[in-house]
Amino acid sequence: MPQLNPEFFVSQLFWLAVFFTFLFVFLWRVSLPRIATVLEKRQNKIDENLSSAKELQEQAMEIEKKINDQINKAKLETDQKIKETINALQENVSSQLSSLDKDLEKKVSDAEKEILKSKEDQMKNINNEIVNITKLTVGKITDIELSDNVLNKVIETQKGSFN
Amino acid sequence: MAAKDSPLKQFEIDPISNIELGGYNISFTNSSFAMLITVLVITLFLTLTVNTRSIIPSRMQLISELMYNFIAQLLSDTVGNNGKRYFPFVFSLFMFVLIGNMVGMVPYQFTFTSHIIVTFALASVVFIGVTILGFLNHGIKFFTFFYIPGVPFYMHPLLIPIEVISYLSRPISLSVRLFANMLAGHTLLKVFAGFVVSMPFFTGVFPLAFIVALTGLEILIAFLQAYVFAILTCLYINDAYHLH
Repeated sequence: MPQLNPEFFVSQLFWLAVFFTFLFVFLWRVSLPRIATVLEKRQNKIDENLSSAKELQEQAMEIEKKINDQINKAKLETDQKIKETINALQENVSSQLSSLDKDLEKKVSDAEKEILKSKEDQMKNINNEIVNITKLTVGKITDIELSDNVLNKVIETQKGSFN
Repeated sequence: MAAKDSPLKQFEIDPISNIELGGYNISFTNSSFAMLITVLVITLFLTLTVNTRSIIPSRMQLISELMYNFIAQLLSDTVGNNGKRYFPFVFSLFMFVLIGNMVGMVPYQFTFTSHIIVTFALASVVFIGVTILGFLNHGIKFFTFFYIPGVPFYMHPLLIPIEVISYLSRPISLSVRLFANMLAGHTLLKVFAGFVVSMPFFTGVFPLAFIVALTGLEILIAFLQAYVFAILTCLYINDAYHLH
């Protein structure tokens, strides 16, 4: 068996020592640190991404909260505004109604006054007409000239019985 | 045995260039050449594939990273945090044995792990290193390693010699396991290769098919033996930290 032939034992051991030492030192100093840095870099990147994702999520949650707050605030504000507007409108309407009422009342009273006045005027006219007619009638029938004052007095006394 | 067509002929060492140093023959042989190829393959592969240092690895870079993580995991599983210091050594050992076995699977290529002197030297480095480590960590108390607690006192005269012998035979078992596996596998391949040539007519295809299957098995064994070598080294390192 060639394995048991000691002829090349020293040679084998020598080259084994040379190559294995070289391999060990090379891997230890060059290859393994390289792989380690790559793995570390990747882990760092993953951690970084995870933490930034977490941060972004937090920010998103904050923004959502803000949006909800603002929506609630806006709702409250609109409710307030609607109430205010309704109140203002109601006030406006009632004030307008009252001013209209006033106007109407005034107009009604004015109209009543006018009616009264025109009634009086009419009455006066009627008195005059009655005086004239009476004068004419009496003049045609009797040739007596009645003065206005006398007629007026008569009419005044008679008027009480009409009314 | 006729040396010419013996299945063991593949293990013969042929000097490529004769070198002598201080009266010793340190010729550069086919064994040395296989070691050189192994070291070149490992260093070039691990260096070039990780050259870009990309965060998203290429397939080749992924292989390097997988190797790295495989041994790192193995070491942290068996030794724990103390093991990180020995990572370069265990990794070198694993890669050297693994790629040495794989280079040996290339036809006409020499398998240096099939030589007991090589595996014994590697196992001795592990054994001596672990023993020194044990004494550094525990001083003279390291000898309590051979004392098994919780055993009836009259058993100790029997158990302590057994423990000592099993400890001392570690380098032998470690080296012989690897050497014997490689020797047996390659011899078997060679024997069946001989059948392919010597069998009449077309019947040679049967041993040929067998060789194909055996080659797959041998590649598995090549990986397995490197793994066993590495994991036993880890366990020995662990023993040097934690006595029984």
